[in-house]
Amino acid sequence: MAKSNNQIEKLAEAPVEFVKDGTAFIQKCKKPSNRDFLQIVRAVGIGFVAVGIIGYAIKLVHIPIRYLIV
Amino acid sequence: MAGFRLIELAKPFLPLLPEVEVPYEKIGFDDKVVYTIIAALIYLFGQFPLAGVSKEASGVLDPLYFLRSVFAAEPKTLLEFGVFPVVSSALIMQVLAGLKLIKVNFKIRQDRELFQTCTKLFALLQYLVLANVFIFSGYYGTDLSVVQITALNVQLVVAGFFVTLLVEVIDKGYGFASGAMAITTVTISTNFVADVFGVGQFPVDNEGHTEPQGAFINLIQSLRASHKTWTGAIVGAFNRDYLPNLTTAFLVLALAASICFLTNFRLELPIRSTRTRGVNNVYPIRLFYVGSLSVLFAYVILFYIHVGAFVLVQLIAHNNPSSIIYKVVGGYASHNNLLYVPQFPLSLLTPPKSFVECITRQPLTPLFFTTFLVITGIWFAGLWQQISGSSARDISEQFKEQGITLTGRREQGVTKELDKIVPVAATTGAIVLGLLVACGELLGLKGKGASIIVGVSGGFALLELITAEYQQSGGQSALAQVLGAPSGGI
Repeated sequence: MAKSNNQIEKLAEAPVEFVKDGTAFIQKCKKPSNRDFLQIVRAVGIGFVAVGIIGYAIKLVHIPIRYLIV
Repeated sequence: MAGFRLIELAKPFLPLLPEVEVPYEKIGFDDKVVYTIIAALIYLFGQFPLAGVSKEASGVLDPLYFLRSVFAAEPKTLLEFGVFPVVSSALIMQVLAGLKLIKVNFKIRQDRELFQTCTKLFALLQYLVLANVFIFSGYYGTDLSVVQITALNVQLVVAGFFVTLLVEVIDKGYGFASGAMAITTVTISTNFVADVFGVGQFPVDNEGHTEPQGAFINLIQSLRASHKTWTGAIVGAFNRDYLPNLTTAFLVLALAASICFLTNFRLELPIRSTRTRGVNNVYPIRLFYVGSLSVLFAYVILFYIHVGAFVLVQLIAHNNPSSIIYKVVGGYASHNNLLYVPQFPLSLLTPPKSFVECITRQPLTPLFFTTFLVITGIWFAGLWQQISGSSARDISEQFKEQGITLTGRREQGVTKELDKIVPVAATTGAIVLGLLVACGELLGLKGKGASIIVGVSGGFALLELITAEYQQSGGQSALAQVLGAPSGGI
């Protein structure tokens, strides 16, 4: 009986342990500084929007094509 | 003979399926950029409307609207299913191989080839099955003639085949990163631009008024429109639910920024060289160890669940409220004559259309949906970090080859130490991503939340690869010169 109780306890502890490990990991992580963060956002943002605009230009070409074939 | 192996099934198809050749020589930096972008643009250009769809509106609407943008799928076009079959077959085959359910020896060349062909066949099969599920459900119209059915089948499957080849071109080393990732990233960024700055006009009422697709353009146009007051225009721009609004745009931006922030969380392990004294450095273990793949995997599973439900409810029970399947699985209710919104209990795994609806109509969804995302994410991340060639043991082997070790550890202890860190990083990252996706989706982003997360982390990975390659090539790039770089990047 005592043994099975032990097992149940272990089972209940697993997620707690898991969350503990996770938060400990996040706390140990090196976080980007404000300056880094702004730089990253700028780089990713410019790339993202630039590619998006090229892509959208192609989508615009579709509008007359749709008129022609539908 | 050591038992039957699933990959042997692909053997007869090996000579039949065309395959992209691995490049003979190393592809230059410029060529890679061009290949990647052009492949993605060809994909975008391929969103032609399907021929053979019946003109009358059918009662069967889009049941997968909230999954589409993650897989770059556009309804009622050649790319009805987007890259979903490619992504899902690649992920699932790898997972099965990792679980040893499919026996593959990746050290043998022939096995690798067979595995590849098998993955491709699986993708094609999915295109075929999905196409027919949608055709026979009446999604393209009821009472289709045989010619129409054949035409639709041919279009969807051939387009799908073309997509697999397009992805393969990038995968095989002509472009950066994985093909599916590059394509989804470009499509997601395109959709984002279209949602914010799109100028295409759509009719919104019976008086002939139109509103543009882009939320920002809409605000400006409404402010200038004579039939609207100022407050009405502003409220409308933030609130309209038939086209993208500014609230969604801001939510999406916030999600994108938080992903940019979180991607840079990393644990820096001090390392030193075993050959030369006094050479110290750090080895980063990132929080998002498996990247956005955990989200993609969760969405692949969601897709299967919803397609399965669609087959049961629409194909077998015809969405009839009195049938037993409808009662057990849940049915579909049409919304604005555009979307098929799943009902309880299927709605438990469906992100709500808006936050208010989430609270009032599906109060259990937040719990279920979040748990689902987090648990599939954890499971997948835990497995993936072992099988994808970046597990603790793989890293310590790399360390040994390069003659480095963790500071304060003997070489034998490295694997053990890494084993304590890597799985935790992978699973924790998956939880954080899962929670973030759930947050976005439950606020009513209808798939845009998940897609921006996949898109930004994909874009980030691409950017990282491109800068690394750029530095390796020593800045010898005609493209960079044209653009007036050195674009410091990150």
